Amino acid sequence: MLLQLNNIFKWVQQGGQRIFLLKDVNLEVEEGEFISIMGPSGSGKSTLLNVIGMLDTFNEGEYEFLSESVHTLKEKYRSNLYKEYIGFVFQSYHLLDELTVEENLEMPLLYKKVKGSERKALVADMLDRFNIVGKKDLFPTQLSGGQQQLVGVARALIGKPKLILADEPTGNLNSQQSEEIMQLFQKLNKEDGVTIIQVTHSEKNAEYGSRIINLLDGRKI
Amino acid sequence: MLRNYLKTAFRNVWKNKVFSLINILGLSIGLSAAFVIGAMVFYDLSFDKFHPDGDRIYRVTTAFKSPDGDFYNAGVTVPLAQALVDLNMEELETVAPFFTTYPLHVENQETGDRFKNPEFVIYTEPSYFKTFEYNWLAGNKESALEEPNKVVLSEERARKYFPNKELEGILGKSVMYNDTIPATVSGIVANFNKRTDIVFEEFISLKTAATQDMTNAVNEANWNNTNSASQLFIKLSQNADPIKVQETLAQIAIEHDEPEMVAIGRSNTYAIQPLTDIHLNPDYGTFDFNDSRTTMSALKSLLFLAAILVLLGCINFINLNTAQAIQRAKEIGIRKTLGSSRKQLIFQFLGETFILTLAAAILSFFLSKWLLILFSDFIPTGLTFELFWNPWIMVGIAVLLILVTVLSGFYPALVMSKYKPVSVLKQQILPNSNKGSLRKYLTVFQFVIAQVFIIATLMVGKQLNYIMKKDMGFKTEAIAYLRTPWRDTSAIKRARFVRQMEELPGIKQVVLSGNPPASFSTMSMGALFVDGEKEVNSDLQLMYGNANYFDLYNLKLVAGRMPLNDSIREFVVNKSYLKVIGIENPGDVVGKILKNDNENLPIVGVMEDFNQHSLKYGVAPMAFTGGSYSGKWTQFRTIHFKLNSLDTVDWPTTISRVETIWKDLYPESDFEYSFMDDTVKKFYESEQKTSILLQWATGLAILISCLGLFGLVIHTTERRTKEIGIRKILGANLFQLNFLLSKDFLKLVLIAFLIATPIAWYGLNNWLEGFANKTTLSWWIFALSGLSMIVISLLTMTIKTINSANTNPVKSLRTE
Repeated sequence: MLLQLNNIFKWVQQGGQRIFLLKDVNLEVEEGEFISIMGPSGSGKSTLLNVIGMLDTFNEGEYEFLSESVHTLKEKYRSNLYKEYIGFVFQSYHLLDELTVEENLEMPLLYKKVKGSERKALVADMLDRFNIVGKKDLFPTQLSGGQQQLVGVARALIGKPKLILADEPTGNLNSQQSEEIMQLFQKLNKEDGVTIIQVTHSEKNAEYGSRIINLLDGRKI
Repeated sequence: MLRNYLKTAFRNVWKNKVFSLINILGLSIGLSAAFVIGAMVFYDLSFDKFHPDGDRIYRVTTAFKSPDGDFYNAGVTVPLAQALVDLNMEELETVAPFFTTYPLHVENQETGDRFKNPEFVIYTEPSYFKTFEYNWLAGNKESALEEPNKVVLSEERARKYFPNKELEGILGKSVMYNDTIPATVSGIVANFNKRTDIVFEEFISLKTAATQDMTNAVNEANWNNTNSASQLFIKLSQNADPIKVQETLAQIAIEHDEPEMVAIGRSNTYAIQPLTDIHLNPDYGTFDFNDSRTTMSALKSLLFLAAILVLLGCINFINLNTAQAIQRAKEIGIRKTLGSSRKQLIFQFLGETFILTLAAAILSFFLSKWLLILFSDFIPTGLTFELFWNPWIMVGIAVLLILVTVLSGFYPALVMSKYKPVSVLKQQILPNSNKGSLRKYLTVFQFVIAQVFIIATLMVGKQLNYIMKKDMGFKTEAIAYLRTPWRDTSAIKRARFVRQMEELPGIKQVVLSGNPPASFSTMSMGALFVDGEKEVNSDLQLMYGNANYFDLYNLKLVAGRMPLNDSIREFVVNKSYLKVIGIENPGDVVGKILKNDNENLPIVGVMEDFNQHSLKYGVAPMAFTGGSYSGKWTQFRTIHFKLNSLDTVDWPTTISRVETIWKDLYPESDFEYSFMDDTVKKFYESEQKTSILLQWATGLAILISCLGLFGLVIHTTERRTKEIGIRKILGANLFQLNFLLSKDFLKLVLIAFLIATPIAWYGLNNWLEGFANKTTLSWWIFALSGLSMIVISLLTMTIKTINSANTNPVKSLRTE
């Protein structure tokens, strides 16, 4: 078991009323799964993903990640945990504009305090694997959307995470680029055994996954 | 990791060139001021720190208490030294009296070479060299000054008087002071090579003075006469209690006070002044009159100024960086999801701040070099740019940089590192109204300071203008004066000088008299006014002159008559003296008597008041009289002359003719003259310096504040591009848009004005209290400075807002 969510509630207070973002969500994820979270806008997909990614907190419930109960952990341990095991891919890529492709890839390793020589090897390996060696000295703004997202995925992968969380990874891409990215995810999942949870609007993309979770108004259906 | 930070930092700095430049400029203005002022403080505080046992060396000085205020004299009565030696106190290791002297010339007996006006010559005893540790290059410390007619020279003087000679070979050679005092060189000491006020170069044995030069001063010494030429250094024994010594000295002073003086509230007391206090204590002064000395309080105000300028720079930084924080929010979010901790982010941002600070420091380094030249009038001559290589200054600069980094970088770092990745990455940046308010406070603070400076500059300028233009009460136009050499006592020469000058065509009138009506030298006496039962004791300033003098300076007699002739002791008092003695009608005082030393001095007239010094001070009670002494002691040694006021072009020719006469009569002395107008101007040197410094501080404060304002305006207008576009489409015109963009900032400027006004009013009111003649704190000063601040800030803002308002809305809306 990679992670387990038990009776997760998350709400915000608005005009004296509780608006539920997540309502009694239960979820078990095994290692090697490829899950797609679907649902209309505002159904809580991204919130759920952020909760799983430990970027967001919840108000009630239990969350266990690799047998650690996340809800009792202090902020510092929590960030150590996701730094170690989770990689993020975003809809708008979120690469650092001031850094080159190579430096963007290197950054997670810096925060993990990986040694210089090893870092170089890992980055070179990743550039090679994604066929972007020629672009390593370019800045993100000099790349197309698809290429940027490729770098985004590569950056998420470089720390050898057990879990990749992708929030509409193809939302800003055209159909051909989307397909390439989805195929990449599938390959990672099958060949490297990386667990993937993605949020998507597209039925087609959801098909790539092994399981689909539907959300409506913060509730699993 | 560090490289990554540095890289991001440099690229960020580069990307936001305008912001970075504003940051760097703002900081470097404050830093360069801090560098230069810090160097000045360091320079002035590092005097005489190197003497072995320097903490045990003191100068004994005298303070006089009198009903008219306290006076200080660096000298002590001559018998005090012997009295201290006789006491044989265990607290005192050495007692080293010395007399400063100013020989006219010194001659190398062998070659006949003459050297004019040797400076820093003293008569002293062997104990001087036991007090101060000199490096003896030749001769013997113990015996060098034991006998009369011996002199110890500094290395520099020895090489000057005996060029091309081995130092050992100079021993035993003789020099002659003033053609009458021979002295054999008995020792040569190295000059102190560190900063010092102990600047003496020639040490003649005190026994020489007793027999050949200052015989009166040394031999007829009494306890009632204090002369600043007679000074005294003491060195305490190890672990001696300075308080004990001070008490003993106070006791001695009380024993020798004259009862009749004490009865009218006059007494004197001795104080011990630590060696390191000499440099910055204006009460007692130093030995080098040429070098203008600063004071501790001046240093403190300069430090305060530097602190304010640095603070303004830091505030700029905080303002701009918190305003800019949103642009960095995305980066912060990403870094956090990639595993950065808050601490790491804080250090990253502090690192960036440090880079900017460092850049500012490098810029300031060059600026400082320029400032040192620009402000050379304010900076001691010994202070050069090389001082910055002093390790202590280096450490000081490093500490300052770290301090500035933390001060300006910590708050923005704290704000930025607080961003939550979820909200940032979803682009739901919270409206930062609460952070905005701190920025507003800081901006207001900056403008308060700038505003206070503006008001102060205007007011000080107004006051200065007022006192410099105000009528002193006598004529100064086209009048100049020169002092005949005081050592030359020949009355015939002076008379001839006057006669020859009168023959010059460009000169209207020549008068031989005492000091000019206003000058830096004053004479005064204690006078007792007796009128029946009534007795009034007071100080009375004296002015010596004759009827022509009265006429030359256009002084006015209001009652009575002039003294009958030049040498009679008859007095014409001024109106201020009437106030002192409580008589209203000037006519009533004529014929009354003043008493001084049991001598009866008749008051024969009353003159109109005029200012004897800077208008900062009031009119002192004064009496005009003829010269009371003749011959050697005559007070009539200053020649006043009036030039033909119409042809100023001819003045230089006339003056050079006067110089020719001087050269002929007094070939030994240098020709010096002063115009009355220049003398008056000199009274206000310190106020003028204040005014110049203030103008600079104002300029810089405005500049820094406007830089900050400019940065903020850029930030807000850029954030409101979309709004501006929409408003424009809906029909807003250029003026309306400008008003919209500027109004929030104008509000801050107005609030700053409201806060600044009372502060400035209070401070300036206090400052004006120090002046006897003062202008009013007019309302228009405040109005004008408030208005100018508004205009300046409006101009700053419109640079950016006009540009934004002019942007084509299609473009701005699309790029959003």
